[in-house]
Amino acid sequence: MNTIEQQLWEYIDGTLDDSAKKALEAKIAADPEIRTQYEDLLKLNSVLGALDLDEPSMSFTRNVMESVALEPAPIALKTKVNTRIIYAIGGFFVLSLLVILTYVCLQAKISLGDFNLTKKLEFNLDQYFTPTTLYVFLFADLVIGLIFLDQFLRRKAHKN
Amino acid sequence: MEQKLTDLELIQNILAGEPAQYALLVKRHQRFVFTLALRFSKNREDAEEIAQDCFVKAYKALATFKQTSKFSTWLYTITYTTAMTFLRKKRLDTDSIHNEETLLQLENHTSSFNANDYEKLDSHTFLNQAIGQLMPDDAAIITLFYKGEQSLEEIGEALHMEPNTIKVKLHRARQRLKEKLQYLLKDEVKELL
Repeated sequence: MNTIEQQLWEYIDGTLDDSAKKALEAKIAADPEIRTQYEDLLKLNSVLGALDLDEPSMSFTRNVMESVALEPAPIALKTKVNTRIIYAIGGFFVLSLLVILTYVCLQAKISLGDFNLTKKLEFNLDQYFTPTTLYVFLFADLVIGLIFLDQFLRRKAHKN
Repeated sequence: MEQKLTDLELIQNILAGEPAQYALLVKRHQRFVFTLALRFSKNREDAEEIAQDCFVKAYKALATFKQTSKFSTWLYTITYTTAMTFLRKKRLDTDSIHNEETLLQLENHTSSFNANDYEKLDSHTFLNQAIGQLMPDDAAIITLFYKGEQSLEEIGEALHMEPNTIKVKLHRARQRLKEKLQYLLKDEVKELL
Protein backbone atom coordinates (compact mmCIF):
# COMPACT_ATOMS: atom_id res chain seq x y z
CA MET A 1 0.00 0.00 0.00
CA ASN A 2 1.53 3.29 -1.06
CA THR A 3 -0.51 6.06 0.54
CA ILE A 4 -0.15 9.72 -0.35
CA GLU A 5 1.58 10.30 3.00
CA GLN A 6 4.11 7.57 2.24
CA GLN A 7 4.75 9.12 -1.16
CA LEU A 8 5.20 12.52 0.45
CA TRP A 9 7.76 11.09 2.89
CA GLU A 10 9.61 9.41 0.04
CA TYR A 11 9.56 12.72 -1.82
CA ILE A 12 10.99 14.51 1.23
CA ASP A 13 13.65 11.79 1.70
CA GLY A 14 14.51 12.02 -2.01
CA THR A 15 13.89 8.33 -2.70
CA LEU A 16 11.11 8.75 -5.30
CA ASP A 17 11.97 8.02 -8.92
CA ASP A 18 11.70 10.82 -11.49
CA SER A 19 8.28 9.96 -12.92
CA ALA A 20 6.66 9.51 -9.49
CA LYS A 21 8.34 12.71 -8.33
CA LYS A 22 6.89 14.73 -11.22
CA ALA A 23 3.42 13.23 -10.69
CA LEU A 24 3.53 14.05 -6.99
CA GLU A 25 4.77 17.59 -7.60
CA ALA A 26 1.77 18.10 -9.89
CA LYS A 27 -0.56 16.79 -7.15
CA ILE A 28 1.01 19.09 -4.55
CA ALA A 29 0.57 22.06 -6.86
CA ALA A 30 -3.02 21.18 -7.77
CA ASP A 31 -4.45 19.94 -4.47
CA PRO A 32 -4.37 22.37 -1.50
CA GLU A 33 -5.08 19.54 0.96
CA ILE A 34 -2.03 17.58 -0.23
CA ARG A 35 0.02 20.77 -0.19
CA THR A 36 -0.92 21.40 3.47
CA GLN A 37 -0.10 17.78 4.32
CA TYR A 38 3.25 18.14 2.54
CA GLU A 39 4.08 21.35 4.41
CA ASP A 40 3.21 19.71 7.75
CA LEU A 41 5.45 16.74 7.02
CA LEU A 42 8.22 19.05 5.88
CA LYS A 43 8.03 20.89 9.21
CA LEU A 44 8.09 17.63 11.17
CA ASN A 45 11.06 16.53 9.08
CA SER A 46 13.02 19.69 9.91
CA VAL A 47 12.17 19.39 13.62
CA LEU A 48 13.40 15.78 13.57
CA GLY A 49 16.56 16.87 11.82
CA ALA A 50 17.23 19.48 14.50
CA LEU A 51 16.68 17.02 17.35
CA ASP A 52 19.42 17.11 20.00
CA LEU A 53 21.36 14.04 21.02
CA ASP A 54 21.46 13.02 24.67
CA GLU A 55 24.66 13.58 26.60
CA PRO A 56 26.18 10.80 28.72
CA SER A 57 27.76 11.59 32.09
CA MET A 58 30.89 13.77 32.27
CA SER A 59 33.05 10.80 33.24
CA PHE A 60 31.91 8.64 30.33
CA THR A 61 35.09 8.85 28.21
CA ARG A 62 37.29 8.39 31.26
CA ASN A 63 35.30 5.32 32.37
CA VAL A 64 35.57 3.80 28.89
CA MET A 65 39.33 4.46 28.74
CA GLU A 66 39.81 2.92 32.18
CA SER A 67 37.98 -0.25 31.08
CA VAL A 68 39.88 -0.28 27.81
CA ALA A 69 43.22 0.02 29.63
CA LEU A 70 42.59 -3.40 31.18
CA GLU A 71 42.29 -4.98 27.74
CA PRO A 72 45.21 -6.01 25.54
CA ALA A 73 45.95 -3.40 22.88
CA PRO A 74 44.37 -4.25 19.52
CA ILE A 75 46.90 -5.12 16.84
CA ALA A 76 46.37 -5.13 13.07
CA LEU A 77 45.53 -8.67 11.89
CA LYS A 78 48.51 -8.68 9.53
CA THR A 79 50.96 -8.57 12.42
CA LYS A 80 49.00 -11.16 14.36
CA VAL A 81 49.70 -13.94 11.81
CA ASN A 82 52.74 -15.87 12.93
CA THR A 83 54.88 -16.74 9.90
CA ARG A 84 56.35 -19.75 11.72
CA ILE A 85 52.90 -21.38 11.66
CA ILE A 86 52.68 -20.85 7.92
CA TYR A 87 56.15 -22.35 7.41
CA ALA A 88 55.30 -25.33 9.68
CA ILE A 89 52.13 -26.10 7.69
CA GLY A 90 54.02 -25.74 4.39
CA GLY A 91 56.84 -27.95 5.67
CA PHE A 92 54.37 -30.62 6.75
CA PHE A 93 52.85 -30.83 3.28
CA VAL A 94 56.25 -30.87 1.56
CA LEU A 95 57.39 -33.66 3.88
CA SER A 96 54.20 -35.66 3.21
CA LEU A 97 54.74 -35.35 -0.54
CA LEU A 98 58.34 -36.46 -0.20
CA VAL A 99 57.34 -39.53 1.86
CA ILE A 100 54.71 -40.52 -0.72
CA LEU A 101 57.16 -39.97 -3.57
CA THR A 102 59.86 -42.04 -1.85
CA TYR A 103 57.39 -44.84 -1.19
CA VAL A 104 56.28 -44.88 -4.84
CA CYS A 105 59.92 -44.95 -6.01
CA LEU A 106 60.75 -47.80 -3.70
CA GLN A 107 57.80 -49.84 -4.90
CA ALA A 108 58.52 -49.20 -8.58
CA LYS A 109 60.25 -51.83 -10.77
CA ILE A 110 63.12 -50.27 -12.67
CA SER A 111 63.68 -51.86 -16.07
CA LEU A 112 66.38 -50.80 -18.53
CA GLY A 113 65.69 -52.38 -21.98
CA ASP A 114 68.06 -55.21 -23.06
CA PHE A 115 70.01 -55.21 -19.93
CA ASN A 116 66.93 -56.73 -18.30
CA LEU A 117 67.98 -55.19 -15.07
CA THR A 118 64.93 -55.69 -12.95
CA LYS A 119 65.31 -54.85 -9.44
CA LYS A 120 62.70 -54.66 -6.87
CA LEU A 121 63.69 -52.77 -3.88
CA GLU A 122 62.31 -54.47 -0.89
CA PHE A 123 60.62 -52.25 1.60
CA ASN A 124 58.22 -53.89 3.95
CA LEU A 125 55.76 -51.33 5.24
CA ASP A 126 53.70 -53.87 7.17
CA GLN A 127 56.21 -53.80 9.96
CA TYR A 128 55.27 -50.17 10.61
CA PHE A 129 51.48 -50.63 10.49
CA THR A 130 51.18 -52.17 13.92
CA PRO A 131 48.17 -51.69 16.23
CA THR A 132 50.33 -49.36 18.37
CA THR A 133 51.03 -46.98 15.44
CA LEU A 134 47.34 -47.05 14.58
CA TYR A 135 46.40 -46.12 18.17
CA VAL A 136 49.00 -43.34 18.24
CA PHE A 137 47.69 -42.02 14.93
CA LEU A 138 44.06 -42.09 16.11
CA PHE A 139 45.00 -40.51 19.44
CA ALA A 140 46.81 -37.65 17.67
CA ASP A 141 43.74 -37.16 15.45
CA LEU A 142 41.51 -37.03 18.50
CA VAL A 143 43.73 -34.44 20.20
CA ILE A 144 43.82 -32.25 17.05
CA GLY A 145 40.05 -32.60 16.69
CA LEU A 146 39.50 -31.55 20.32
CA ILE A 147 41.80 -28.53 19.86
CA PHE A 148 39.79 -27.39 16.83
CA LEU A 149 36.48 -27.99 18.63
CA ASP A 150 37.72 -25.96 21.59
CA GLN A 151 38.79 -23.09 19.32
CA PHE A 152 35.44 -23.19 17.51
CA LEU A 153 33.42 -23.11 20.74
CA ARG A 154 35.56 -20.30 22.17
CA ARG A 155 35.03 -18.24 19.01
CA LYS A 156 31.29 -18.87 19.13
CA ALA A 157 31.09 -17.95 22.81
CA HIS A 158 33.13 -14.80 22.11
CA LYS A 159 30.74 -13.75 19.31
CA ASN A 160 27.73 -14.13 21.63
CA MET B 1 45.87 24.45 13.73
CA GLU B 2 45.87 20.69 14.19
CA GLN B 3 44.06 18.84 11.45
CA LYS B 4 41.18 16.67 12.57
CA LEU B 5 41.88 13.01 11.90
CA THR B 6 39.20 10.86 10.28
CA ASP B 7 37.80 7.78 12.03
CA LEU B 8 39.84 5.50 9.77
CA GLU B 9 43.07 7.40 10.45
CA LEU B 10 42.46 7.19 14.17
CA ILE B 11 41.81 3.45 13.93
CA GLN B 12 45.01 2.93 11.96
CA ASN B 13 46.94 4.85 14.63
CA ILE B 14 45.38 2.77 17.42
CA LEU B 15 46.21 -0.47 15.61
CA ALA B 16 49.74 0.80 15.05
CA GLY B 17 50.24 1.08 18.81
CA GLU B 18 48.62 4.31 19.97
CA PRO B 19 45.67 3.11 22.10
CA ALA B 20 45.27 6.52 23.78
CA GLN B 21 43.79 7.85 20.52
CA TYR B 22 40.74 5.70 21.17
CA ALA B 23 39.57 8.45 23.54
CA LEU B 24 39.12 10.72 20.50
CA LEU B 25 36.91 8.13 18.80
CA VAL B 26 34.87 7.70 22.00
CA LYS B 27 34.38 11.45 22.38
CA ARG B 28 33.34 11.74 18.75
CA HIS B 29 30.67 9.03 18.89
CA GLN B 30 29.62 8.83 22.55
CA ARG B 31 26.58 11.10 22.30
CA PHE B 32 25.10 9.17 19.44
CA VAL B 33 25.85 5.72 20.89
CA PHE B 34 24.41 6.84 24.22
CA THR B 35 21.25 8.22 22.57
CA LEU B 36 20.80 5.02 20.61
CA ALA B 37 21.27 2.93 23.76
CA LEU B 38 18.73 5.15 25.51
CA ARG B 39 16.20 4.43 22.74
CA PHE B 40 16.43 0.74 23.63
CA SER B 41 16.81 0.84 27.39
CA LYS B 42 14.59 3.88 28.16
CA ASN B 43 16.76 4.45 31.21
CA ARG B 44 19.90 6.62 31.54
CA GLU B 45 21.85 4.31 33.86
CA ASP B 46 21.27 1.28 31.64
CA ALA B 47 22.00 3.33 28.52
CA GLU B 48 25.32 4.45 29.98
CA GLU B 49 26.25 0.86 30.82
CA ILE B 50 25.27 -0.32 27.31
CA ALA B 51 27.21 2.50 25.64
CA GLN B 52 30.29 1.85 27.76
CA ASP B 53 30.14 -1.88 27.06
CA CYS B 54 29.70 -1.12 23.38
CA PHE B 55 32.89 0.99 23.24
CA VAL B 56 34.90 -1.66 25.11
CA LYS B 57 33.65 -4.36 22.70
CA ALA B 58 34.48 -2.16 19.72
CA TYR B 59 38.00 -1.61 21.08
CA LYS B 60 38.59 -5.34 21.54
CA ALA B 61 37.34 -6.09 18.03
CA LEU B 62 38.96 -3.09 16.35
CA ALA B 63 41.42 -5.28 14.44
CA THR B 64 38.51 -7.15 12.82
CA PHE B 65 36.86 -3.95 11.56
CA LYS B 66 36.76 -4.17 7.76
CA GLN B 67 37.56 -0.66 6.71
CA THR B 68 35.24 -0.90 3.71
CA SER B 69 32.20 0.49 5.57
CA LYS B 70 31.78 3.48 7.87
CA PHE B 71 33.09 3.05 11.41
CA SER B 72 29.84 4.56 12.72
CA THR B 73 27.73 1.87 10.98
CA TRP B 74 29.93 -0.84 12.51
CA LEU B 75 29.69 0.84 15.92
CA TYR B 76 25.89 1.08 15.73
CA THR B 77 25.71 -2.64 14.89
CA ILE B 78 27.64 -3.32 18.09
CA THR B 79 25.36 -0.94 20.01
CA TYR B 80 22.29 -2.76 18.74
CA THR B 81 23.58 -6.25 19.64
CA THR B 82 24.92 -5.03 22.99
CA ALA B 83 21.57 -3.43 23.84
CA MET B 84 19.71 -6.59 22.87
CA THR B 85 22.02 -8.77 24.97
CA PHE B 86 21.73 -6.36 27.88
CA LEU B 87 17.94 -6.37 27.75
CA ARG B 88 17.89 -10.16 27.49
CA LYS B 89 20.18 -10.41 30.50
CA LYS B 90 17.91 -8.14 32.49
CA ARG B 91 15.20 -10.65 31.68
CA LEU B 92 12.87 -8.00 30.43
CA ASP B 93 9.77 -9.40 28.91
CA THR B 94 10.20 -8.74 25.19
CA ASP B 95 6.48 -8.76 24.69
CA SER B 96 6.05 -5.88 27.07
CA ILE B 97 8.96 -4.03 25.41
CA HIS B 98 7.37 -4.35 22.03
CA ASN B 99 3.86 -3.78 23.19
CA GLU B 100 3.36 -0.19 22.34
CA GLU B 101 -0.08 -0.05 23.89
CA THR B 102 1.28 -1.06 27.30
CA LEU B 103 4.01 1.55 26.94
CA LEU B 104 1.52 4.22 26.02
CA GLN B 105 -0.74 3.32 28.93
CA LEU B 106 2.20 3.48 31.32
CA GLU B 107 3.17 6.85 29.95
CA ASN B 108 -0.39 8.07 30.26
CA HIS B 109 -0.46 7.14 33.90
CA THR B 110 2.83 8.77 34.70
CA SER B 111 2.46 11.94 32.66
CA SER B 112 0.20 14.58 34.03
CA PHE B 113 0.90 17.54 31.81
CA ASN B 114 -1.54 20.35 31.50
CA ALA B 115 -1.65 23.42 29.30
CA ASN B 116 0.53 25.42 31.70
CA ASP B 117 3.27 22.78 31.62
CA TYR B 118 3.36 22.85 27.83
CA GLU B 119 4.39 26.46 27.89
CA LYS B 120 7.51 25.61 29.87
CA LEU B 121 8.65 22.97 27.44
CA ASP B 122 10.10 23.39 24.00
CA SER B 123 9.44 21.25 20.94
CA HIS B 124 12.52 19.08 21.62
CA THR B 125 11.19 18.01 24.98
CA PHE B 126 7.93 16.91 23.40
CA LEU B 127 9.75 15.21 20.58
CA ASN B 128 12.02 13.31 22.96
CA GLN B 129 9.00 12.32 24.99
CA ALA B 130 7.14 11.13 21.90
CA ILE B 131 10.20 9.22 20.65
CA GLY B 132 10.50 7.66 24.10
CA GLN B 133 7.00 6.28 23.70
CA LEU B 134 7.80 4.57 20.42
CA MET B 135 8.84 0.94 20.16
CA PRO B 136 12.63 0.61 20.59
CA ASP B 137 13.21 -0.38 16.95
CA ASP B 138 11.15 2.56 15.65
CA ALA B 139 12.91 5.01 17.95
CA ALA B 140 16.31 3.64 16.91
CA ILE B 141 15.46 3.88 13.20
CA ILE B 142 14.35 7.51 13.55
CA THR B 143 17.50 8.35 15.52
CA LEU B 144 19.79 6.59 13.05
CA PHE B 145 18.10 8.19 10.05
CA TYR B 146 17.99 11.75 11.33
CA LYS B 147 20.98 11.98 13.63
CA GLY B 148 23.30 9.16 12.59
CA GLU B 149 23.68 10.26 8.97
CA GLN B 150 22.98 6.66 7.96
CA SER B 151 21.38 5.55 4.70
CA LEU B 152 18.56 3.00 4.69
CA GLU B 153 21.11 0.34 3.66
CA GLU B 154 23.43 1.24 6.53
CA ILE B 155 20.56 1.25 9.05
CA GLY B 156 19.57 -2.18 7.71
CA GLU B 157 23.15 -3.37 8.27
CA ALA B 158 23.21 -2.01 11.82
CA LEU B 159 19.83 -3.46 12.81
CA HIS B 160 20.16 -6.69 10.82
CA MET B 161 17.20 -5.91 8.57
CA GLU B 162 16.57 -5.46 4.85
CA PRO B 163 16.67 -1.85 3.56
CA ASN B 164 13.08 -2.21 2.33
CA THR B 165 11.94 -3.28 5.79
CA ILE B 166 13.73 -0.24 7.21
CA LYS B 167 11.96 2.00 4.68
CA VAL B 168 8.55 0.67 5.71
CA LYS B 169 9.44 0.80 9.40
CA LEU B 170 10.70 4.38 9.08
CA HIS B 171 7.46 5.43 7.47
CA ARG B 172 5.41 3.70 10.18
CA ALA B 173 7.64 5.16 12.90
CA ARG B 174 7.11 8.70 11.61
CA GLN B 175 3.37 8.12 11.42
CA ARG B 176 3.30 6.88 15.00
CA LEU B 177 5.51 9.73 16.13
CA LYS B 178 3.14 12.21 14.56
CA GLU B 179 0.18 10.57 16.32
CA LYS B 180 1.97 10.63 19.64
CA LEU B 181 2.94 14.27 19.19
CA GLN B 182 -0.64 15.08 18.37
CA TYR B 183 -1.74 13.20 21.47
CA LEU B 184 0.84 14.94 23.67
CA LEU B 185 0.21 18.40 22.34
CA LYS B 186 -3.37 18.02 21.27
CA ASP B 187 -4.25 21.30 19.58
CA GLU B 188 -0.81 22.80 20.09
CA VAL B 189 0.83 20.41 17.65
CA LYS B 190 -0.04 22.58 14.70
CA GLU B 191 1.55 25.62 16.26
CA LEU B 192 4.61 23.68 17.33
CA LEU B 193 5.26 22.17 13.93
